Amino acid sequence: MSDNKNVLIEVRDLCKSFDHVNVLNGISTTISQGEVVAIIGPSGCGKSTFLRSMNLLEKPTSGSILFEGTDITDSSVDINKMRQKIGMVFQQFNLFPNHTVKGNIMLAPVQTGLMTKEEASKRADELLVRVGLSDKADVYPAMLSGGQKQRIAIARALAMNPDVMLFDEPTSALDPEMVGEVLEIMKELARDGMTMVVVTHEMGFAREVASRVMFINEGQIQEENTPKEFFSHPENPRLCEFLSKVL
Amino acid sequence: MSDFIAKFQQDFIESDRYLYLLRGLGNTLLIAALAVILGIVLGFLVAIIRSTHDKHGGLNILNFICKVYLTIWRGTPTMVQLLIMYYIILVALDNKILVAVIAFGLNSAAYVAEIVRSGIMSVDEGQFEAGRSLGLNYTQTMRLIILPQAFKNVLPALANEFITLLKETSISGYIAIPDLTKGGDIIRSQTYDAFLPLFGVAVIYLVLVMILTAGVHKLETRLRTNER
Repeated sequence: MSDNKNVLIEVRDLCKSFDHVNVLNGISTTISQGEVVAIIGPSGCGKSTFLRSMNLLEKPTSGSILFEGTDITDSSVDINKMRQKIGMVFQQFNLFPNHTVKGNIMLAPVQTGLMTKEEASKRADELLVRVGLSDKADVYPAMLSGGQKQRIAIARALAMNPDVMLFDEPTSALDPEMVGEVLEIMKELARDGMTMVVVTHEMGFAREVASRVMFINEGQIQEENTPKEFFSHPENPRLCEFLSKVL
Repeated sequence: MSDFIAKFQQDFIESDRYLYLLRGLGNTLLIAALAVILGIVLGFLVAIIRSTHDKHGGLNILNFICKVYLTIWRGTPTMVQLLIMYYIILVALDNKILVAVIAFGLNSAAYVAEIVRSGIMSVDEGQFEAGRSLGLNYTQTMRLIILPQAFKNVLPALANEFITLLKETSISGYIAIPDLTKGGDIIRSQTYDAFLPLFGVAVIYLVLVMILTAGVHKLETRLRTNER
């Protein structure tokens, strides 16, 4: 494909079915370095399944996913090595309650052998400054608010120095007043050039930060465009209906 | 009162009869402690195999073996298992304590396995996904994230199992091990006084269980301070 754009992820004809229910019906797209792709769509449309396929938390039924040129659906590929370069942030944060905040951030870099304890500690301190939670290093996740938890979850994923960050509805489980602090960090990440794929209901974020917006419905990409075109001139009738409800 | 003192003298002091209880207590504690270790090691192993199979498929043969084991060991009386071990399966093994440890350990492991499995299944799937998404492998995710949480969740149930195990060792006398219960019974047969030796034995078990309970409570509190 277009090699000059530095393709990071290439998805080819991705299908996924759960017990004979087709969730993804042939999704193909490419995601280039530095892109911020927002994925929107009605609930149950397959957008989370699509995102979770990109690091193989969901095993595709057919199709392939090339990450930096390697087909991660190939069973001979060491998926753990691949996942180390693909950060993921979940709707429910999924911080480890049995580790401190700093322990959460340091765990993977140390255990995977990416960093020594000292390096990981230094990196964790930097990341805690970046997400504005240096004072929380030694507390346990149960002591944090939802927004703080999600900021730590972002820091934890960044600790592995990933090439791409996947966000699965990162603000959907938050109280409205905490959405802003998480989006702010995501905006900063985007400004710093991080490649991001974000499943979201935050149309403001999609419009403002994304370089491309993707509408998934019935397991297919039914429309994708720059945010400006996407929101001002939607073509797909289902998308028009969806936007009229959420905007 | 003087009658009580005389009985006490006769039951415990004369001919150093208290030694029956003391040595018996030693055997009881030895059997229980080693059986607990065997129960934990084997129980965790079976639990990990079973929950890995349940959650992610695979390990079909191992899972089948585990299920057969659980069915048989939970479906037959401990005492029958002890006798079968002693008279049939381990008849060549002439260390009776070891026979008891194996019999009680295998029995306890079956219960520990199901307790721990329920603990593993109770940890949110998101914890597992978070671990794997960071690039940790299955074993690392289990060891560093899932099992510590599972252990904390099932600690009260595990403690219960070990209290049961400690008391169940009182049937060791059936394969002629001089344990605590047997010790009291030997004194009774020598002095023809049942009251003091048997109540004495009962009190010692009670104190042991109370110490165990207090210890577990302390551990529980310590594990819980991390997360409310």
